[in-house]
Amino acid sequence: MSASSNKPSQRGRGSGPAAKKSAATKKSGAASKRYAERQARKKEAARDARRSRNQRYGLLVIALVVAIIGVLVIVKVAGSGGGSSQASSVSPPAGTPIPQATLTKVASVPLSTLKSASTSGVLTSPQSVNNPSLNAGGKPELLYIGAEYCPYCGAQRWPLYIALSKFGTFSPQPGRIHSAVDDGNVPTFTFYGTNYSSPYLSFVPVEVYTNHVSGNGYVPLQTPTAAQARLWQSVNQGGFPFIDFGGKQVLGAAQYSFQSLSNLSFDAVASQVGNNSTAIGADIDASAAALIKTICGSMSHGQPAAVCSS
Amino acid sequence: MSEDFPRWPGIAGTIVCVLGLGVAGYLTFEHYTSSSSLACSDNGAINCLKVTTSSYSSVAGVPVAVLGLVFFVVMLALQVPAMWQRSERWVRVARLVWATAGVGTVVYLLYAELFAIDAICLWCTSVHVLTVVLFGTTVYASLSYPPPEVAVS
Repeated sequence: MSASSNKPSQRGRGSGPAAKKSAATKKSGAASKRYAERQARKKEAARDARRSRNQRYGLLVIALVVAIIGVLVIVKVAGSGGGSSQASSVSPPAGTPIPQATLTKVASVPLSTLKSASTSGVLTSPQSVNNPSLNAGGKPELLYIGAEYCPYCGAQRWPLYIALSKFGTFSPQPGRIHSAVDDGNVPTFTFYGTNYSSPYLSFVPVEVYTNHVSGNGYVPLQTPTAAQARLWQSVNQGGFPFIDFGGKQVLGAAQYSFQSLSNLSFDAVASQVGNNSTAIGADIDASAAALIKTICGSMSHGQPAAVCSS
Repeated sequence: MSEDFPRWPGIAGTIVCVLGLGVAGYLTFEHYTSSSSLACSDNGAINCLKVTTSSYSSVAGVPVAVLGLVFFVVMLALQVPAMWQRSERWVRVARLVWATAGVGTVVYLLYAELFAIDAICLWCTSVHVLTVVLFGTTVYASLSYPPPEVAVS
């Protein structure tokens, strides 16, 4: 079979073996060149197709990401657009973390500054009572009962935080909240979720409600013990805020008016703490000085001397 | 060797990274100072301070602002035109992976802002936009153009 197929070629050319070989080489070279060109075109077409396919995938992925972001925004806008600013009117029960620099600034106002603040804006101070001693953990107990929605509590927590910082440390530190938006919207701390340690006293905070509206009231947060509730009812008729200094003195209202803090930002108030030239700064500083004096006199037996003797 | 590879991805990527570095650097500076000087509204839905001081502002103790800064530093190294002209596979993969990690973080942080913190930080949003733009240019350029050496062959 192979011999017969070679015959026509041998007859047609009728030349020597060298010429035959050269012609065969030329023919096979041209064929392989055409083949290579075809292959290259195929390759190029495949590469173009692959590139165009990848391009489509790329655009699809980008569109997907943009769509996810768009859906998040649309869901948010649709969810809050119906009605109200309800979603932005509340804060997490444990508050929003406060920068350490701000906490340090508020906690470290010098005693001399606190003491020199004008008391003209101070409306009330702790009152002596003749109740049984209130203790916790072998130390005099400072019981605070308040609510996160309550604007009076919001105002009162500023001096209370300053005063307590002179006798011990919070860990974790209080977060930042505000009283109910339609009830003063006072920027403040929350004592919910905090721990306080001091060699002189035990601090027992109870935040009874959040600032989240529920029906005609607010979402409950912490429940006072039966003994706390009895004390709170008997001394303060269940009003907020209530502070009992070891059974020796009590405070049944905010020391100064919350009105001036209304609708301010947390930082706007924090920046005035320690600045007695502003009404807010003076009110907070003077109130803190009164609390420190009460704690020194009723609970810590004049300790630490660096705080109480000044 | 790389005439066929377009220059725009490298130029665009570098510009976006430099902008991102600027904003992330500012947010990092504010994080380690008082934060109260953050040039942004402090009330209502736009509230940078509420976002930058929220529990979502750090991951495992590392401030998100710092993570943003690291993201743009690394991304800048991967986006400079010279890196786009390199043909090694790992460069393209690293750039794509990093861009994807960035855009994933953006989606998470946007979700946190909208649904957990309930406030939007404009500075953070500008970082988010830049990250999404980077992701877009990176994905498009990586998938549309073959590596330089393939383009030459």
